[in-house]
Amino acid sequence: MTLWDIKVKQIAQIHSLSSMLSSAVSQRLDEMGFNPGQNVICLRRSPLKGPVVVQIGDSVYSLEQNVANKIQLA
Amino acid sequence: MKKIILVGKPNCGKSLLFNQLTGLRQKVANFPGVTVELKSGQFKQFEVVDFPGTYSLQTLSRDEEIAISKLHESLLDDDTALMVCVLDATRLERSLVFGLQVQQLAKKHNKAVVFVLNMIDEVQRYGLKIDTDGLQQALGSPVFALSAKALVGLAEFQQALPELADNPQQHIPDISEETTQLNVLQQAKTLGQTYGINVDVMLKKQNRIDNFLLNNVFGGLAFLFIMFFLFQSVFTWANPLMDGVEALVGELAAVVTSFTGEGIVTDFLNDAIFGGVGAFITFVPQIMVLTLIIGLLEDSGYLARAALICHKPLSYFGLSGRSFIPYLSGHACAIPAIMAARTIESPRKRLITMMTIPLMSCSARLPVYALLIAVLIPEDHTVLGIFNLQGVTFFGLYLFGILMALVVSIVMKHALPQQDDKSDMPFILELPTYRLPHWKPLSQRVLNSGKQFIKRAAPVIFVVSVVIWFLGYFPQGGGLQNSWLGTIGHVIEPVFAPLGLDWRYGVAILMSFAAREVFVGALGTMLGIDGADENIGGLAAQIQADGLALGAGIGLLLFYVVALQCVATVAVLRAETGKSRIAWGLFALYGVLAYFIAMTTYQIIG
Ligand SMILES: Nc1nc2c(ncn2[C@@H]2O[C@H](COP(=O)(O)OP(=O)(O)OP(=O)(O)O)[C@@H](O)[C@H]2O)c(=O)[nH]1
Ligand SMILES: [Mg+2]
Repeated sequence: MTLWDIKVKQIAQIHSLSSMLSSAVSQRLDEMGFNPGQNVICLRRSPLKGPVVVQIGDSVYSLEQNVANKIQLA
Repeated sequence: MKKIILVGKPNCGKSLLFNQLTGLRQKVANFPGVTVELKSGQFKQFEVVDFPGTYSLQTLSRDEEIAISKLHESLLDDDTALMVCVLDATRLERSLVFGLQVQQLAKKHNKAVVFVLNMIDEVQRYGLKIDTDGLQQALGSPVFALSAKALVGLAEFQQALPELADNPQQHIPDISEETTQLNVLQQAKTLGQTYGINVDVMLKKQNRIDNFLLNNVFGGLAFLFIMFFLFQSVFTWANPLMDGVEALVGELAAVVTSFTGEGIVTDFLNDAIFGGVGAFITFVPQIMVLTLIIGLLEDSGYLARAALICHKPLSYFGLSGRSFIPYLSGHACAIPAIMAARTIESPRKRLITMMTIPLMSCSARLPVYALLIAVLIPEDHTVLGIFNLQGVTFFGLYLFGILMALVVSIVMKHALPQQDDKSDMPFILELPTYRLPHWKPLSQRVLNSGKQFIKRAAPVIFVVSVVIWFLGYFPQGGGLQNSWLGTIGHVIEPVFAPLGLDWRYGVAILMSFAAREVFVGALGTMLGIDGADENIGGLAAQIQADGLALGAGIGLLLFYVVALQCVATVAVLRAETGKSRIAWGLFALYGVLAYFIAMTTYQIIG
């Protein structure tokens, strides 16, 4: 399962970042808190496959499909 | 001069702190990526530099690239006395990721570092506390808890700053070799857990507002309503103010000309000064209302949400949700908007955004719109019984610009060479906490917008009005048609005939390549010379009396929506894209497009 498959209000754990991501993006996600073992909460989904909104640690981010589906959940 | 530099994560309050220290008015707003360029100011005997916000030393977007390359330069610069790392106290862990990276780098280069724990007022509002001393110990650098907004702890910081910057050697981070080897993420996490606050209350409140504004059904409607409200109010709210200014200018003209009596001097004052420059001053309230509403939106935290809502729809046109923010500010002025596009991580989407920003109806077009709408659209008509037809037309012009931008974007999307998935950066956007807009920077910004508008355009309008008046007034006695200006005008007349416009409009259009607002001044001056009765009040009434066909008028409006009549915009496009081919190509493209749209409109409506 990836972060793109998460449902509203669902809590999940980050497993890993896909190697499909460029190293720059991957590192940025890491620095934003998308680290293995970290909890994420899905705050909302947008219509028409718009970006997903998640809370991770103390911050709230929105991510579009082609990056959310490269974040593996445990 | 010794330098103090302000760095930190986006939206942590660097620019507001900078403003408090220097007394300058850098733009402050509640979304990540407001500052996209370095800005210097003076605090006591020091030069203070505000940096664009960055999440990390590893950059994704152009504004971050600028910040980091300048940061490396500052580290090597002997003048750099102190690096102030601004942290968001409500997001300690995230702020520390970049903060610690900077601290380690500073240590390597023997530079002094202090941390500012900003937004401490928000921490206190939730009845929470941060152990500043403990944090200071753990970090090995001084920490100042303060609020750049509520002014808590600011005076202490200002007092301590000179001492810190004068003795940098004593404030080089006190961290051991082993610490610098440690993983920054791990360290930030530990510190965040030990000293950070529990943000659940804050996020819960934010989430409640989002439940409303980002609701699947209602969110879209709210978005459309806010946009409609924005453009409608530029018209409705500003109108009474504009009438007031217009009456004032009329009064002033009457008083002044009562002293000068009959003759050339009075003619000059009436036509060129009050008719030309005065007609333009009338529009200042509109610019201020527009700035106020955009400012309210920007400082509330809603814009990041709007970007999120727009992301999917905009991506069909080759744009990003982040394009929304420069598009919106493009309605005030294209120049900062084109620079703001630096925050769009995908180079391709950034390029398309920059190329289409000139189609947003900037405030320089407002005078032209307002004047022609007053001429063409009856004042007392309403649509659906509630919306004033003039206001709806206003909205329609804004909408037309946006639609044109989307059309051009989709063409570009297919015309520009494709990039592979990897090099095209994805959309990742942090949603900031909602905040009540801060009145001080906002009111300064509103006043400043009016001042800038006058300062930028008034000299040009003055010169153009005076030149036109001289060319149009002499040789005396023959009237405008037989003046020197008339002689020149008749040469260019055939170009504008297909648009249903006579040479006077042609001259005004050509002159407005100096600045769009000149159109109003130039036309005001010419009609002033032409008009039998020297009745200053209402340029619109004069044009009505003079006669302007509906089709020609609407065509003229659409011409102004599309044409890129702004040298400064061309220059910024050239600088930001790095290609003058693109800048001048757009200039030509939008010019030709505008001409054909105007012609077609005139041919259809007549
Ligand atoms: N409550 C509170 N709000 C603050 C404080 N400092 C700044 N803000 C608000 O935080 C938002 C961001 O402030 P800016 O000064 O634009 O932040 P910045 O760090 O320059 O942001 P970028 O230029 O995007 O990197 C604005 O809405 C400010 O009004 C503070 O101490 N307390
Ligand atoms: Mg800033």
